[in-house]
Amino acid sequence: MEGVYVVSDGSTQFGSEVALKWSYLLEGTDSTHYLSVFTGIDAAYFNLEGSAQTDSLVMNGYWRKLVNADIGLARLVVQAKHNGRLQAFTGKLPVGDSLVIKGLYGAGKDAPTQPLTLQYARPLNKRPFSIMAHRSGGRTADLLPASENSVAIIKLASRLGATGIEMDVRYTKDGVPVLYHDNTLNLRLIQKNGLTGSLESYTYKQLSALVRLVNGEKIPTLEEALEAVVYNTDLTFVWLDTKYAGPMEPVQAIQQKYNQKAKQAGRDLTIVIGLPTTDALDSYKALESKANTPILCELDTAITRSIGAGIWAPRWTLGPQTDEVLAMKAQGRTVYVWTLDEPTFIEKFINQNRFDGILSNYSPVVAFYHYTEQ
Amino acid sequence: MTTVRRKRIRGYLFVVFLLGIPFFASAQSAESKPRKSEIYFPQAPLPHTWRNSLGLVFTTTPPELTEEVRVSVPAIDLNFQRGLTKRLFFAGRFQTQFVQNNLSLGLRWARPITDRLAVSAGYDVSGWGGALEIKDVFSSQAYGLESMPNVSVGYRLKNDLRLTVKSEVILDHYYRSEVGTLAIVRDRLQVNGFAFTIVLEQPFYHQRYVSAGFRAAYSNFNWQLWSLYDTFDRNLFYPQLIFAFIL
Repeated sequence: MEGVYVVSDGSTQFGSEVALKWSYLLEGTDSTHYLSVFTGIDAAYFNLEGSAQTDSLVMNGYWRKLVNADIGLARLVVQAKHNGRLQAFTGKLPVGDSLVIKGLYGAGKDAPTQPLTLQYARPLNKRPFSIMAHRSGGRTADLLPASENSVAIIKLASRLGATGIEMDVRYTKDGVPVLYHDNTLNLRLIQKNGLTGSLESYTYKQLSALVRLVNGEKIPTLEEALEAVVYNTDLTFVWLDTKYAGPMEPVQAIQQKYNQKAKQAGRDLTIVIGLPTTDALDSYKALESKANTPILCELDTAITRSIGAGIWAPRWTLGPQTDEVLAMKAQGRTVYVWTLDEPTFIEKFINQNRFDGILSNYSPVVAFYHYTEQ
Repeated sequence: MTTVRRKRIRGYLFVVFLLGIPFFASAQSAESKPRKSEIYFPQAPLPHTWRNSLGLVFTTTPPELTEEVRVSVPAIDLNFQRGLTKRLFFAGRFQTQFVQNNLSLGLRWARPITDRLAVSAGYDVSGWGGALEIKDVFSSQAYGLESMPNVSVGYRLKNDLRLTVKSEVILDHYYRSEVGTLAIVRDRLQVNGFAFTIVLEQPFYHQRYVSAGFRAAYSNFNWQLWSLYDTFDRNLFYPQLIFAFIL
């Protein structure tokens, strides 16, 4: 079912082409499969869950546009087109038949009434490419159903198109690495509770007892976050952004522990420590041992080379930097660009085909342009 | 364009229309006397004379864009107006933060309604541009064209104090942004948002007057923050504090 589909009914709302991709979520021994639809209009995506009915496969869920607050329900039925006629999809598609997904979408909580028809056109682009979601999956400002840097958003990331995530790491007063972006506790990220000042002023016990993120989640420890990545998701890459000042050893130890756990679980997962500043670079240089510590360097190419970083990640606002990118890749390095949200620039960066991945708040947009690229 | 957006546009135009009603009302009125002591108050300078103001505008960044960092971005603000006829005047404005600039040129037609009340209608066209070259951070530039149909209502209070309320619709005509060798262009006319300004103009010392006011812009894009590459398709609130000496 994965592939690029042509949109007939519904193209004014979702564009003329969409990409369909499966992802899964593991909870213990249970797995739930989700079908995502990535569109080229207003960062719109569908989050659908399948249910097998007596004679057809029905996908229920919702669609959402990340650039605004538009949202609605969707109910689609998977069918096979055989000799020009639609019939129930039995799970196998004879040669010559094609898939057609038909159904309805709506606005808000209203029952879906608008027709949507998707017809299979071609397979997804297979070129290896990392689609990395910012803030562990998405930004709170984009009104997602889960808060940024929460375990819930990590579990949602794949459905938003991500193959990897970037998470922001800080230390609590008692030295517990946790996920939190801002310098202070503030109402942008947490529910009102009377606490002010920096996260580093509070112990983990205090934060755990008193602070809830805007959608009600606890601030997760780095270990809780990586536990979710390894055992609940199909994500293949984690970028630990260094937001803390101080020793890197505790984060390094957790990075190594979870890279090892992923290996033992048979997961294709790499966890890297990001070095965005010279302070972070100094913390890295101060590590007693740098073995088994993959890093990603956001600083210039000379520094990236000097510390032997396997990944170079420049800002997108510097442009394509073609010469530097090609030179770094020629030395065997991976090159990612961050944090790119402007859809037209995402399309251009992907079409230039030089970067190995894009970090974005709009991973559905990156997914759309990557998977539909020909 | 979505239905919601069309409704919003109709809403903006309705507000501008309401504020423009005084133009259609017939009323006898007297011209007020000093014409060099106001920039926002809807009264034309004397024909073939200039009046100018120089000050600062502070724009507070919306949390959706700068998150926990709430910056009040200052810009030098120069207004220059010239009377063309008794009621028609040219209105120019230049705002700069050195790395980004905005030049607005327009025409206003103003008429008094009573001894105290006056109104004006105008159309301004503004070109903006900015460039950022910071090692390892930015190699970007952008420029664009906007226009702002506007209506003002002014009331002359006691003690030479003037209160003006101005309403603007902000229309986007052209946008071009470049990062390195890549560029994107948007050249479709669309309603960017609207703004309301309330300004007091009064004597400060000797014969010097000042304009002090507040502008509330509710728009999709703000030229001063182009480098943040806002991708939200929803209007954000941009409060501005205005203070200027009328020269």
